[in-house]
Amino acid sequence: MKKFISLLTLAALLVGPVFAQPAYSGPMPVPPADTRSDTLRRAYLDRVREVLVWYAATAKPDKPETIGTGQIVAKLALHQDAALVSQRIIELMKQPQTGDMFWMFPWAAISFLGRDQLSPAAKAAIRDAWRTYFPMRGDTENHWAMYYSSLYLMAELYPDDPADSWFTGKSSAENRAEAKGYLIHWMDLATTIGQGEFNPTHYIGEYAIPMLYLATWAKDPEMRIRGHMMLDWLMAELADNTLNGVLRGANARTTEESVLERWNGLSSFFSWTMFGNTPPPAAYGGFGIFFAGAAENYRLPEVIYQVAVDRSQDYIQRDLKRTRRRWRYSDQFMPPIYKTSYMRRDYAVGSYQGGQSDPIQTHVWDVTWAVPDPRGVHNTLFSMHPYASTEVLQMYFTEQPDGLIDSLAGQGKPSFGVPDKILGASPYERVFQDRDTVVALYDIPAGTSYPRINGFFSKDLTHVTEDKSGWIFAQGGHTYLAYRPLAPFHWEHLLGYRQLPSAHGYKWERIDKGEQGDKLLVSEQLRNGTIVQAASADEFKSFEAFQAAINALPLEFRLEPVPVVRLTTLRGQRVAFTYGQAPVVNGVPLDYTKWKLFEGPYLNAEKGSRRLTITHGRLKRVLDFNTLTITDSVTP
Amino acid sequence: MPKKKITLALLSWCALLAASLAAAAPLHDLYLCASNSRGTRVIGFKDTSLNGVYRREADGSFAHLGLNHPMTLSVSFDPRDARRFYVASLSGILRTQDGGQTWRVATDWDITEPKSVVVDPNHPDTVYAGVPDGFIVSHDRGLMWVRAEHGLPDRGKYTQVVQVDRTHAGRVLIGCETGIYLTEDGAKSWRHVFTCAATVEDLQQSPHDPLFWLAVTQADGALQSQDGGLTWTKLAGVPSEHALYNVAFDALNPERLALASWTYGLLTSEDGGRTWGERNAGLPVPHRVWRTAIDPDTGRLYAAVLDQALYVSDDFGRTWKAGGMEGSRITGFTFVPRAAR
Repeated sequence: MKKFISLLTLAALLVGPVFAQPAYSGPMPVPPADTRSDTLRRAYLDRVREVLVWYAATAKPDKPETIGTGQIVAKLALHQDAALVSQRIIELMKQPQTGDMFWMFPWAAISFLGRDQLSPAAKAAIRDAWRTYFPMRGDTENHWAMYYSSLYLMAELYPDDPADSWFTGKSSAENRAEAKGYLIHWMDLATTIGQGEFNPTHYIGEYAIPMLYLATWAKDPEMRIRGHMMLDWLMAELADNTLNGVLRGANARTTEESVLERWNGLSSFFSWTMFGNTPPPAAYGGFGIFFAGAAENYRLPEVIYQVAVDRSQDYIQRDLKRTRRRWRYSDQFMPPIYKTSYMRRDYAVGSYQGGQSDPIQTHVWDVTWAVPDPRGVHNTLFSMHPYASTEVLQMYFTEQPDGLIDSLAGQGKPSFGVPDKILGASPYERVFQDRDTVVALYDIPAGTSYPRINGFFSKDLTHVTEDKSGWIFAQGGHTYLAYRPLAPFHWEHLLGYRQLPSAHGYKWERIDKGEQGDKLLVSEQLRNGTIVQAASADEFKSFEAFQAAINALPLEFRLEPVPVVRLTTLRGQRVAFTYGQAPVVNGVPLDYTKWKLFEGPYLNAEKGSRRLTITHGRLKRVLDFNTLTITDSVTP
Repeated sequence: MPKKKITLALLSWCALLAASLAAAAPLHDLYLCASNSRGTRVIGFKDTSLNGVYRREADGSFAHLGLNHPMTLSVSFDPRDARRFYVASLSGILRTQDGGQTWRVATDWDITEPKSVVVDPNHPDTVYAGVPDGFIVSHDRGLMWVRAEHGLPDRGKYTQVVQVDRTHAGRVLIGCETGIYLTEDGAKSWRHVFTCAATVEDLQQSPHDPLFWLAVTQADGALQSQDGGLTWTKLAGVPSEHALYNVAFDALNPERLALASWTYGLLTSEDGGRTWGERNAGLPVPHRVWRTAIDPDTGRLYAAVLDQALYVSDDFGRTWKAGGMEGSRITGFTFVPRAAR
């Protein structure tokens, strides 16, 4: 399964030596009080320049190995050292090429940035590599977004070249047509039935960068505006789903690191660049430089900025998404995902209903609380069923069954086949969310790997209290939390992963941080459940008052023959939820068939509409893929 | 002498004769699909291993042909001109018309990860391919591809293997997630001829009797058909608890068959499939045999042991020796008549 990638590791490889970066190691950024458009624009360009300058400074002329694609992009964007860069490109092109679509988009960027700077020999060397090197197309939507955007742009840059000058064996015109066909197909899916790899903590870059490149360099006006509109779409979703810049759950794809340290993902690079409200990750997330190289060509709409930074009002957002393609062992090809998000100043609660959106890296629900500085903080609480099976991998991957699970660790996914994992979804979990209450029910068939529920309890929680009522109370930041396991449990240390040197693939060792580390609440009953409620500390006189309020709420549950919960939430909602049935709120069953593509105060779109309306206050932007128009308006 | 013994003696003599002739000049070229990254390749990471299609050279070594692609699974040749061949790869169907010097991704964006590609030997402009979401066909040597799925289910048509009946143009069997499907009209329509619990991994037609077919599956063991694939029965004596990956006939000896499996290693039969035994002694442990093949010229038995090497046996698995391709993951064997070169 060739296709898995640890983006943090890749980032490190791309970057080379890491040294202090101003924004990464500096104080928490504060969104400016002056939100005039030109002020915001200046701040955005300053951040972009920081990335470019930092990368350019890592390139040492006397050490060619320090000049990789990131450094070349930086220098070309800054119009520095064209001769040195040209020489280095010729050297690099003499080496065996590798990296597939991760090779394509940097070299596409370099080709465009270097049009008026690189020597003819350097340009020819790059161009020839698009004949001699055969990058794999990959097997996921992010792969295809990178592959086809890059191929499209290069085929436009060299518009009349014959088939034998391209690795595909197709002419420039054929490559353009194929690439355009895929990209429009993907945009159609995303704007009618929802994104597949939705709200990804890392893969956001693998969509945003190609879309920026289309918006910047496509000659075809249709593809240029499509790129621009999709980038707006992605940034609007990011804005709507971040708490002070931190992208929290649910996520179609995230990683072992980001699911705990919620800030630590490439998504924070985009929050920092666009909104200026959180620090960027180390080395700007690795891929940040490839966005920065063309970032001056994108202007974030003010309405999206306001959606990102305004947390003065609580809001509920419901979205429609879809799973990754299921090739087999499923009745549906891309089943719908129903996503709920509740955002408040102090915390966010997010979840989705609909099963496994991805076989390995999905994160279904959590409560994430706001912290003054998110770096190093595990500001989240959730439970999950650690499910692992060959069948589910074969559902999404066209692989033979044997060795599939074992191979994942060697390919950078250490936790899929371990029982104490905290990343992944299960077909035996059903989740319902009403504002800041989540009910997760589990009905795990005997013999399933693994027969347990893992509840994540962060090292950063305070006042963790096991109440005699059965609730576990805790505080995270300015948020009070109540966690109710529905079956007996015990506590375990959550072991981390440390990567070991390896000549072939990844190798890992587990590390135990003892009582200083995170903990797992482990419940080994197959029919099981978790209830979580959250509230702002401001809502109660004291932590004890919060506990008393939770304990006073009506709650009934049973686990046999299937889990059933009936409760009244802190917000006064009467919820009845039976595993395998539609949740009932105040006597009314929830009808997911009426779910819209986006529904909330800021983002709205009808299913199938290809039209997203972004609003905040008096500001409105409409992205209409039917007419390929962007319409801004300000309500009087 | 009983008739059967005479037949066996004649076949043995033929085999010896063929083997001696083959030693001088093999009648077939052997092509492999192989990757050399030991299963740890990660997209986006540095990988300078050489992968793709290999051809056996006169000295027994394997030479790489042109395109370095880490995920190739199946190769099929135009019988009129073996310089034209098709490769099922992660990137789509790849086609070369000059023996691998130049290539074209023959399929468009909407085809991903074909698992199997086969040229119809009786109508070689027609090429069939099984894909994860069904089945496609080209009637113009791979230039244009169309879906051909009438009769296949909406779900359950994941297609792992395609085989063309060499005796009838347009008669094709495919192994899918939900079983075996048959077309007799060039994929205009399909009918379900066998139901499986999980994916059918391989289908092969006997070189001796065109009505005799074998199939292996992920969860239903091995299957046989005596009527050209119309009906199937389970092959007794073959374990079915774990996946079987492919099956091979010996073109020189109809009694000899071989099966490859990660769990069981190499299974062979020397009585036409009535009894089976493991032939793993001498193979690396664990003996994860990803593919097997039998040389039609010599009867040499091949076992591709996952990420280890290609192993060869000239006594049908009783003893083994390394046959090159160290560290490789071989995903396909194809023997091509030299006459087509």
